[in-house]
Amino acid sequence: MTDHDLTAPQGLRAVTLGVLRRLFVRLLGALAVLIGAATVAFAALQLVPGDPVTVMLGPGSAATPEVKAEIRATYGLDQPVAVQYLHYLGRLLTGDLGESYQLQRPVAGLIADQLGSTVQLALAALVLAVVLALVAATATAGRRPALRGVSSLLELLAVSSPSYWIGILLLTAFSFQLRIFPVAGDQDLSALVLPAVTLALPLTGVLTQVLREGLETTLGQPFVLTARSRGLAPAAVLLRHALRHTTGPVATLTGWLTGSLLGGAVLVETVFGRPGIGALSLQGAVNKDMPLVIGLVLLSALVFVLISTLVDLLHVAADPRLRSR
Amino acid sequence: MPRTGPRPVPLLAALAAGTLLLTGCGSGATGAAPAKSGDQGTPVQGGSLTYATDVEPISFDIHVSQQDVTGAIQRNVFDSLVQQDAKGEFQPWLATKWEIAPDLKSFTFHLREGVKFTDGTPFDAEAVKVNFDRIVAKETKSQYAASLLGPYTGTEVIDPKTVKVNFGEPFAPFLQAASTPYLGFYSPKTIKENGAKLGAGGPADVGTGPFVFSSYTKGQSAVYTKNPDYNWAPAGAAHQGPAYLDKLTVRFLTEDSVRLGALNSGQVQVADPVPPSGVKTVQADSKLKTISTDAPGAVYSLVLNTSKAPLDDPLVRKAVQRGIDVETDVKSIYFGVNKRAWSPVAPTTPYYDKSLENSWAYDKALAEKSLDEAGWTAKDADGYRTKNGQRLTIEWPLPPAEYVREQRDTLGQAIQADLKKIGIEVTRPRLDIGTYIAQVYGGKVHIADYSWARFDPDVLRLYFHSASQPSKGGQNATFYKDAQLDEWTTKGKETFDKTVRQEVYGKTQQRAIELGLIVPLYVRTATVGQSAQVHGLTADPNTWLRFHDAWLGK
Repeated sequence: MTDHDLTAPQGLRAVTLGVLRRLFVRLLGALAVLIGAATVAFAALQLVPGDPVTVMLGPGSAATPEVKAEIRATYGLDQPVAVQYLHYLGRLLTGDLGESYQLQRPVAGLIADQLGSTVQLALAALVLAVVLALVAATATAGRRPALRGVSSLLELLAVSSPSYWIGILLLTAFSFQLRIFPVAGDQDLSALVLPAVTLALPLTGVLTQVLREGLETTLGQPFVLTARSRGLAPAAVLLRHALRHTTGPVATLTGWLTGSLLGGAVLVETVFGRPGIGALSLQGAVNKDMPLVIGLVLLSALVFVLISTLVDLLHVAADPRLRSR
Repeated sequence: MPRTGPRPVPLLAALAAGTLLLTGCGSGATGAAPAKSGDQGTPVQGGSLTYATDVEPISFDIHVSQQDVTGAIQRNVFDSLVQQDAKGEFQPWLATKWEIAPDLKSFTFHLREGVKFTDGTPFDAEAVKVNFDRIVAKETKSQYAASLLGPYTGTEVIDPKTVKVNFGEPFAPFLQAASTPYLGFYSPKTIKENGAKLGAGGPADVGTGPFVFSSYTKGQSAVYTKNPDYNWAPAGAAHQGPAYLDKLTVRFLTEDSVRLGALNSGQVQVADPVPPSGVKTVQADSKLKTISTDAPGAVYSLVLNTSKAPLDDPLVRKAVQRGIDVETDVKSIYFGVNKRAWSPVAPTTPYYDKSLENSWAYDKALAEKSLDEAGWTAKDADGYRTKNGQRLTIEWPLPPAEYVREQRDTLGQAIQADLKKIGIEVTRPRLDIGTYIAQVYGGKVHIADYSWARFDPDVLRLYFHSASQPSKGGQNATFYKDAQLDEWTTKGKETFDKTVRQEVYGKTQQRAIELGLIVPLYVRTATVGQSAQVHGLTADPNTWLRFHDAWLGK
């Protein structure tokens, strides 16, 4: 016992060091990912054919060549691409995302303004999807064939329906006909319900399928039989043992899906007329607003990095086998 | 809020309602039930109206933006020097009268007394100068308003209430330009303090209009509130004094079905636009009504590139013009809402030439004869005509989907099918927008297609004058150089003489059709859906809504 007591602080220090080193490597990796994302976005936008200012103004613009030249000079588009890139990276390192060409406002400010409602929407959708998936999967895994069949069918429908279409269906039913929820916007909680459900449904479908699959595989393993032989009820086995085994893949999947929520937000925010990052991305892409697009690419890269770190930590927490090293 | 009861209608209100109906008819409004009982009631003060539209402005700065929607919704905040009525005549607004120098190079305006911006700054000659100078300033990077000022050289402040605007050459279109919201006036104070932020919308956008821009939530809505001091509505407005509505909320609902659903379920009171496929449903609903206005200016047309073979041959152009069954195509795609066009400009445009109607109807036999005459007599295995072994092919690119409006791609398919029947192959490669602009506006393809809404026949100069090159912000993608077209459209620009304008603009429209420079397709009918409780709402000749006279009944 004394032996153990002596080694404990040393072990703790080793663990802390390990975590710190891991964190440092992670941070470096994140930085590389961000610079890479910025570079790829910059390069992709350079590949758009045509003069950037003409493209930005769109066909049939009445802008004279002088106005175009002025726009070009203001944003430094008349300089060589390499110079533009270095300038861009330089500003980026000081945390300056630049100014939107079209909206004439700082990109950082624009994103900060719009981020709140998207985060709210994404979190609501995520929580809803995870809860629904847990309930559906635990209720149907390995038993009640009829219920399982109905659930599978619904999941398939949810996964394969475009969220755009789900949104319009929900709006027609609950807003236009029953008039329970407002059509659109970001005024209060009731306006969040329909967009969150729309965004959550396809997610729920995927999660339920994976979760049930995982549960059923686990239920076939020998330790489940051991647990049952100890006199545990089937429900307890499912909730206390099998569920824990399936959290790994589900956490990974949820992480990945959370990243993809941003893509879903583009459609959902457009249909519901909600402000947010999705609507902003669409506008930036359509208007060929380079600083805005790059800013948004960076944001989503950052979100992916954060989420994958979080998922890693979750794995460690759920699976003791990963803590040994 | 007091609401209308079945009491006797006061004389003044009856007169006002009468004027309303008149202006309604004049602007081509064909509301489902123009004489519904409610429209004759006494306007109700107060209330909040929500208006849903499909496009959100990129920039709210009227001096910078080239978007229709910016002009349309910022009209509530910004007044103009003059007002153009449905007949194209100019009426006093912020200017009570004006004189035009005989050489049309300067315009002197006498400004209305007592007008002030909503931040308290008086509206005077200096304000006019500050605004016009801002529009042409390089830093403003004006995408549209600067082109409306054309050969502007400067503004002279004669005295606080008199201002003279000067141009380097005769510039008759200026009065029309001055009537648009793009040449509206910001408070000089806000220009000084917030000059670079005006595009972002919100309270910084201070004008003299009937509403104040209270707040803007990007991606969602813009909120306007009543300007209680407003007392300078243009001549011809249904009422003077402040707007009836306390609050006007503009919601941005991109999806047609969502916008209509919101109107149907009473969550918004006005939805704009109603797509052609939805017009009948809205009209059939007793709780809703519609306002329809034909868009003025150049109609949606095929602009034929006369500099590129085989369209350099007038006979081939004639065949294209007469070989498309415009009537049937337009009717079937737009459910009879948009009408087929006969002239390069819409019937609501001043000096529209009515004599062109039915003058070049679909004639397949004539089209085929023209092609025979042009030497395209042989046919290949696919049924297309050939000459010297070359297939008769016309290239008409499609821009990316986000630039295609009003199902024009579907209309294009119908046209492709029509022309195939007379042996012309039309190819429609889909190009990215950069390549598209370079090709179409650089004259490298056969057909360009676009419309240009402006309530002024000067669009004919934009379309057909040889100096109006697409590379310089012009719109002449016919690339045709014609001394007569140049002379006529220049003459029209340099005179206010109605007989002369009638003559030159009439001749221009006829010659453009005769030379086969253009195939006008349809006149866009803007349909707005509104709840039956909305009264007094009318559309101006630009098809934009005037909320100053609107009120909410029961």
